[in-house]
Amino acid sequence: MRSHSTSSVCALLALSLLLNACGQPETSPKTDLDRPYPSEAGGTQIDAMPAEPSGLIAMIAGESAASAVASNLFNSLLKYDKNLELVGELAQSWQISDDQKTITFTLKPDMKWSDGKPLTSADVLFTWKVVTDENTRTPYGADYKLVKQAETPDALTFRVSYEQPYAPALDTWAGLQILPKHLLEGQDINTTAFARKPVGSHYYQLQEWRNGERIALTRNPNATQGQANVERLVSRFIPDAASQFLELLADNIDLMNLNPIQYARIVPARPELQQKLGLYKELGNSYTYMGFNLKHKPFDDIRVRQAINYAIDKQEIIDGVLLGLGEPVASPYKPGTRWSNPALKPYPYDVARALSLLKEAGYQDHDGDGILDRDGKPLSFEILTNQNKQREMAAVLIQRRLKEIGIDASIRVLEWASFVGRYIKTGDFDVVVLGWSLSLDPDQYGIWHSSQQQPGQFNFIGYNNPRVDELLERGRFELDPDKRQTIYHEFASLLLQDSPIVYLFAGYGLPAIHKRIKGIDNPAPPAGIGHNSYEWYIPRPLRRNEIAVE
Amino acid sequence: MIKYLLKRLFWMVPLLVGISLVSFLIMHLAPGDITTTEAGFNPKASEESRQKLREIYNLDKPITVQYGLWLNRMATLDFGTSFASHQRPVFWEKTDPQGNVSKGLIQEALPITLLINVLSLTVIIAVALPLGIVSALTQNRPPDRAITLFVFIGFAIPGFWLALVLMYWTGVVNSWLPISGLHSLQYDQMHWLGKVADTLRHLALPVFISSLSGLAGIALFVRNGMLDVLHQDYITTARAKGLPENTVVYRHALRNALLPLITIFGLSIPGLIGGSVIAESIFAIPGMGKLFYDAVLMRDFPVIMGILTIGSALTLLGNLLADLAYAWADPRVRRGVLK
Repeated sequence: MRSHSTSSVCALLALSLLLNACGQPETSPKTDLDRPYPSEAGGTQIDAMPAEPSGLIAMIAGESAASAVASNLFNSLLKYDKNLELVGELAQSWQISDDQKTITFTLKPDMKWSDGKPLTSADVLFTWKVVTDENTRTPYGADYKLVKQAETPDALTFRVSYEQPYAPALDTWAGLQILPKHLLEGQDINTTAFARKPVGSHYYQLQEWRNGERIALTRNPNATQGQANVERLVSRFIPDAASQFLELLADNIDLMNLNPIQYARIVPARPELQQKLGLYKELGNSYTYMGFNLKHKPFDDIRVRQAINYAIDKQEIIDGVLLGLGEPVASPYKPGTRWSNPALKPYPYDVARALSLLKEAGYQDHDGDGILDRDGKPLSFEILTNQNKQREMAAVLIQRRLKEIGIDASIRVLEWASFVGRYIKTGDFDVVVLGWSLSLDPDQYGIWHSSQQQPGQFNFIGYNNPRVDELLERGRFELDPDKRQTIYHEFASLLLQDSPIVYLFAGYGLPAIHKRIKGIDNPAPPAGIGHNSYEWYIPRPLRRNEIAVE
Repeated sequence: MIKYLLKRLFWMVPLLVGISLVSFLIMHLAPGDITTTEAGFNPKASEESRQKLREIYNLDKPITVQYGLWLNRMATLDFGTSFASHQRPVFWEKTDPQGNVSKGLIQEALPITLLINVLSLTVIIAVALPLGIVSALTQNRPPDRAITLFVFIGFAIPGFWLALVLMYWTGVVNSWLPISGLHSLQYDQMHWLGKVADTLRHLALPVFISSLSGLAGIALFVRNGMLDVLHQDYITTARAKGLPENTVVYRHALRNALLPLITIFGLSIPGLIGGSVIAESIFAIPGMGKLFYDAVLMRDFPVIMGILTIGSALTLLGNLLADLAYAWADPRVRRGVLK
C-alpha cells in the first residue's frame, strides 16, 4: 500500500513539473492587432507544410514541398511579377533575336551567392548542363534539351539558341533555379549532400533542418534581390490538416491555407479567431474539369458533349463543393491574366437546350424507363475520379443533374496509381473528373495537340481538332506576347466550342494569416498573396516572445 | 538447449527469404511505381524522362531480376538507398568522399518510435496489471464493473478522434501541452533538464493515445487470466492452508496468470518498431509508421522492403525470445524443449 501512494505522489510531481514548464507568456491580448505599424525588419514567421522536402534542389526533388522551400533560396533568370508578366530576376534584361531563335540574357552586375562567391553566367551555363545531363534524375529536362547551343560570351551574358523558335522558352527560364557551379562541379547531382545544405542567392539561406520536424531559414546578407523584412522563416512539417488548424488556433503557426469549411464557417463563427486572423482569398493555380473520352461513343458527337455541358450547373457545384469559394472558368488560363479570353463565358445551365441537342443527336426516352436511349441503347456511362474529396463531391452533383435529364451516370473512385495505370494510360474510360493547372505560359501543346495521345502522354481524352493543332503549333513559334495572345484566345474559344471537357471550377486558395504579419496586399493580385512576402513584416510589439536568435 | 537454439535460428533464414519474396511480389503487384505519383502527372514531365528514371532504378526489368538484385544486395546487408528521399540510405548512415554524413531513414525514425512504444508499453503494464488484478478480485462487483466499462470505452474509442479532442483541450483551450511535433522551437537553447521535460511534454499525448487500446486489451487479459487461476484447486489449497490473502493472490495466482502475457509481449516486439500511422500523422512525429506509409504511397520500394525485412526478422526473433522466456518461466514447457 505504501509504495502505491509514493508512486502516485511521484506521478503528481512529474505532472505538475510538466504543466509548469508550459506557461509561456503569449503576446499580451491587449496589444492592438489592427492599428497600423511602421515597417521594420526582424522577427520569425512560422508556417506549416504537409510534407518534408526530399531535398532542396528543385529539379531533382520535384515535389511541391521542395519547390516551396527552394523558391526562398534560389533565383531563376526570370520571374513572374504580381500580374503574372515575366520580368527579370537574375537577368537584368533579355533580348530575342530577329529570327526568334536566340535569347540573350544579361545578368545583373555584382551578384553573390550566400557564401560570398560571385554569381555569374558560368553558374547559369552549369545549371543548364546539369538539367540536360543524361544522368540527372529529373523529369523536367525535356524543355531545356531543345536548346541547341548555350554559351557565355562574358561573365554577365548567357545566350541560348534553339533549333526553331520556342515560345515557352522564357517560361522555362523562369522555372529553372540557378545552382552554384563552384559547389556542385564534379559532384553527382542526384546524391550530393548539397541538396540538404544548399547555398543559394535569394532572400533566405538555410539555418537549420531538423529531419521530420522543421526547416528554418534566415535572411541571406548577400541576397541578390535586396533584403526581406522577416528575419527568420520556420516551416514545420505537420502532415495532418486538422492538427495544422489546431496549431493555428493556438497561435503556434502564423499562416496556413484553410479549407472552405474552416474559412466560411468556423472562423467567422468565432470572434476571438476573427480578431487575430486575417482571411485572404487568391485564385488557385488549377481548375477541375470533367473530360470525355472522345474515342468512345457517344462522346465523339459534339452535340452530346455540349448537351451534357448545358446540363451541369457549375454554380451549384461551386456553392456545394467550395461553399461558393471558387470561380467558373471558360478557358484553361487564369482569369485576369492576358491569356484568358474575357469574351468567353461558361455554358449556362440550360436543361431545355441540353434536351434539344440530345434529341438532335437521336437520344430520346423511347421505352419510357426515364433514361434517354438511341437504337435501343440507353445513354449511360461511368464517371471516374481519384480519391479527392472535392472531385468526388462534384461528381455526385453532376450525377444528379444528369439523372434529371435522363442520363444514367455511375461514379467510381480510385486510388491514384491504379487510376492512371489501369484507366488513363489504356484509354479505358468514359468520363473522368480531374484537374489541370492554370499554366502561366499559355502553351498547352502536351494536353490538347492531337499528336500527344500515346499511352503516358497527356491528351488522353483524345482531343483532335486540326485548327487547334495548327494554333498550338503556331503559338510555340511566336515569341511576341501580343501575337501569342491572339492565337491563344482563338484556341480557347475553339476549345470551349468543341466542349471536349466541361470546365467545372477553379477554387480559391484561402490563406489565413495571423494579424501580427503586416504588409500583405489585399485583395490578392493574380500572382497570389505571397507575391510580396519579402515585404511582409512583423512589428516588434506583436512578435512572439522568442529567445533571441543571433 | 544450444542445439535447440541453433536449430531455431537456422530455420529463420528460409522463413525470412520466403517473407521477403512474398512482400516483394505483393509490393510490385500494386499498380504504379515511383514515376507515377500525382505530382508526376504534369505535362512538363515527359514520358521519356519517366522511362529513363525507371531504367535507372531497374524498374523496367522483370520482377524476378529485380528480386534477385535486391537479394544480392541484402546478402551483404545493404538495404540500398531511397528512391524518393534524395537517395538517402534506407537503414544506416553513409559518409560520402567529402565527409558529408547522410543519415539513414530507419536510423532516424526508429529511436523515436522505440521511445514512444517503450514508454507506452511501460504505461500499459503499470496501469493494466493493477486494473486487471483489482477487476478479477472484485469480479462482478462495482469496481470490476467500472474497470470493465472503462476498458471497453478505451478499446472502442477512435484514437484519432480522442487525439484531436485532447489536442484541442490541452493545447488550444488551455495551452497545457504542445499540440504536435517533437521539440519546441527553442529546444536547442534549453538546459538538458528542460530538454527532457520538453520532449516528455511533446510525447505525453501520443503515448497516452497509443497506450489506450493496448491497455484495454492487456487489462482484460490479466483479469481473465487471474479469474482462471483463482478458480484452480491449488488456490483453494493455498487458502485452506491459511496463507494470507496477499500471498495467495500475488505469489500463487498472479505469477501463473502472467504466463500467457510472455507470449503477448514477445509478439509485441515487432510492434515496438512499427509505429502507428494515424498517431504519427496527427501528432507530426517522424516515426516508423509515417516512414512506411509515405514509402508505400510513393512506391519507394527500397524503403518498404527495408522496413518489412527488419520487421519480419524482429517478429521471428520475438517469437524465439517468447518461447525461450516461456521455457524459463514454466518448468513444464522447459522439459518439453529440452527433450
